[in-house]
Amino acid sequence: MHRYAFVLTRPLQLIPVLFGISILSFFLVKSIPGDPVRLLLGTKSTPEAVARIRAQYGLDESLPVQYLHFLENLTRGEMGHSLLYKMPVLPLIAERVLPTFLLVVGSVLLTLLIAVPLASLAALKRGTAADHAIRGFTTAGLGFPAFWLGIMLIILFSVKLGLFPVAGFGEDALTMLHHMVLPCLTVALALSAIVTRNLRASMIAELASDHATAARAKGLPESWVFRRHVLPNSLIPTINLLAINVGWLIGGSVVVETVFSLPGMGQLLVRAIFTRDYMVVQGVTLVFACATVLLNFVADLLTVAADPRVKL
Amino acid sequence: MKSKLKYGLILAGALAVLAGDIAAAAAEGVLTIGRREDGTTMDPIKSAQNVDFWVFSNMYDVLVRVDKTGTKLEPGLAESWTVSDDQKTYTFKLREAKFSDGTPITAGDAAWNLLRIRDHPESLWRDTYSVINDAAATDDKTLVVTLKQPTAPFLSTLAMPGISILSRKAVEADEAGVSDHPVSSGAFVMKEWRRGDKVVLERNPNFWEAARVQLDGVEWISVPDDNTRVLKLQAGELDCGIFIPFSRIAELKQDPKLNVLLDPSTREDHLLINHEHPPLDKKEVRQALDMAIDEQSIVDTVTFGVGTVANSYIPAGALYYYADNLKRPYDPAKAKEMLEAAGAAGMTLQYNVEAGNEVDEQIAVLIQQQAAQAGININIVKIDPAAGWDELVAGNYDISVNYWTNDIIDPDQKTTFVLGHDANMNYMTRYKNDAVKDLVAKARVEFDPVKREQMYVDLQKMAKEDVNWIDLYYSPYRNACGKHVDAFYQNPLGRFFLEDTKKM
Repeated sequence: MHRYAFVLTRPLQLIPVLFGISILSFFLVKSIPGDPVRLLLGTKSTPEAVARIRAQYGLDESLPVQYLHFLENLTRGEMGHSLLYKMPVLPLIAERVLPTFLLVVGSVLLTLLIAVPLASLAALKRGTAADHAIRGFTTAGLGFPAFWLGIMLIILFSVKLGLFPVAGFGEDALTMLHHMVLPCLTVALALSAIVTRNLRASMIAELASDHATAARAKGLPESWVFRRHVLPNSLIPTINLLAINVGWLIGGSVVVETVFSLPGMGQLLVRAIFTRDYMVVQGVTLVFACATVLLNFVADLLTVAADPRVKL
Repeated sequence: MKSKLKYGLILAGALAVLAGDIAAAAAEGVLTIGRREDGTTMDPIKSAQNVDFWVFSNMYDVLVRVDKTGTKLEPGLAESWTVSDDQKTYTFKLREAKFSDGTPITAGDAAWNLLRIRDHPESLWRDTYSVINDAAATDDKTLVVTLKQPTAPFLSTLAMPGISILSRKAVEADEAGVSDHPVSSGAFVMKEWRRGDKVVLERNPNFWEAARVQLDGVEWISVPDDNTRVLKLQAGELDCGIFIPFSRIAELKQDPKLNVLLDPSTREDHLLINHEHPPLDKKEVRQALDMAIDEQSIVDTVTFGVGTVANSYIPAGALYYYADNLKRPYDPAKAKEMLEAAGAAGMTLQYNVEAGNEVDEQIAVLIQQQAAQAGININIVKIDPAAGWDELVAGNYDISVNYWTNDIIDPDQKTTFVLGHDANMNYMTRYKNDAVKDLVAKARVEFDPVKREQMYVDLQKMAKEDVNWIDLYYSPYRNACGKHVDAFYQNPLGRFFLEDTKKM
């Protein structure tokens, strides 16, 4: 089999995965106590009004029937109607994709920007004060909760120094970029802690490997050995680590989007869960699941491209 | 080393560009208000949420308005009205006014809106307006509404944002489009709505009171995190912020750039009691529970002294509020005696509290400690907010803290829900008193204001005697604005009078 054959077979595997996720998320969210109609109508509504609206949204039917309706909608390319927003779920999600997308991409880029130099420094100067300081950062970075770190960054960079806006999303490309710096930094500080730690370990292993020694024996300068032999090889596990962490990243976006008032999918999901807006929870979960599966697929592609020996 | 320096410079340059002050504040004359959540729809009949009501009352006018004190009705789109002797026919005279698209607002539009909120399958307010028998325009400016039976609070229901006057033509042409490009009848018209982010409004030049409006526009911006909202306000990125946490008020009052505005509201926090669970079915036991709770210390601790102790289910300052109503003293020793006499010494109660609600969780702990002095054991059960109400409806609780805010100036709405023995089991308390039930029904059809006031005074006394629930505290709205903002005011029913607000 050709080493890129998985490009064709992987999408087929995606179907049962998404099917499973849709069943799980549907029955999980339905099993949480709470009634979306009561929340919609408020505490001042009568039981008759609650029953009428419930019937109107098909919530009085049995769960399997409701699930079939959901699948039926999907085959037509629809995801049902939001109870809270009184509009189809798909355009509702589409409006929210950009902030989350920018947050995830920006955080990953910023993470690499922080982690690669730090890990290289730590691996090359192993055992020195710099190495200890960097390892200290990787421990501390994991310990700070995002909601606290975000507020601290706002107080420092926005309120005290006036460099960045406190929160919000911006109007055009430039202001959006300006607004995204602190949220991305909040995520990147935590994520780069994991990545630096991992990358440093693989670099140390690579530095001591036979092919690095062979390269040095040929008389190649250490900087060449590091850039051509050590760095690419240690990046492979890091790419996979990042891909695995994308799920965590998307989950983390929920908190960061709230702290920084980013109108993204994370915030949409939180409010949908609190109001038991089932169709929106379903829709966002499916989109997140697709994104995670897709990113893992891209990571596999990169791994195969980076290392000719890898077969999937 | 050289290339490292080069990359470093590029990075620094990029950061400098990003860090520049390019996030210019909103245009002059546009008021930015930070609130917790964004709205959900622009179609008034389809929402029961305050976040939507605030924007509806900026965009749409109503036939009859509530004044700034929240106790009187005043003309809106209807400049005058008469009521027939049998109290069943209301005749409204509409003023000359236009929608934002320039078409006239007619009695036909008004009649259609009344029938729409009564009949539309997605209307959340059908019950409130089911008393309407018919609404019809006899000419362009005359609206005749007939009721199925006389109802004293009817006029005040016409002031609710739910029954905002929309353009019949525009809604019939594109109902789903109401949320994207609503045609407005009020001070402002929607320019853009980025769901989850902000609602952008601009002045409506066709508003009949356009000369009154000072602002060029309004932006309602969603800033869900309380701390972030306060920081944005302090950094000058917002003109005003609402929902300031109790704990931050003292600090913000010290800020020389800000005004903290504590306008009176109709919010009343109370402790629901399940009358079906013995020994709480005994009046004396409920009275003892009231005496075991020190409301003043709750006000001091959780509201930081911003609230006031409540003595009636009708909020202080609201129509027919009885200021001299009984306030049972905090007396745990007496409470203990009363419990012993009632055979309920050492009773154990299940206290349902909303998980994650900081204020309510604090109240629960305080009450638990206070009640222990009277020998009452309280088990606090934390419940997910969305599931909490289901538990109350099902009766799976002994006591639980809750709150109410009025939607109309007339006390009938709250009284019916709380004491009127309707389908909601007296707001989930299962309270039963037939004398109270009869009086609620009588007060609804009493049209003499003096007699009616006496009935509500009696109801407040009877509810207090029976301890239908325990009144805890009243609290004001908690807003803050930069000092450059003038006349930012919220009336007790929650309406923001942005048509009078100025930016200096």
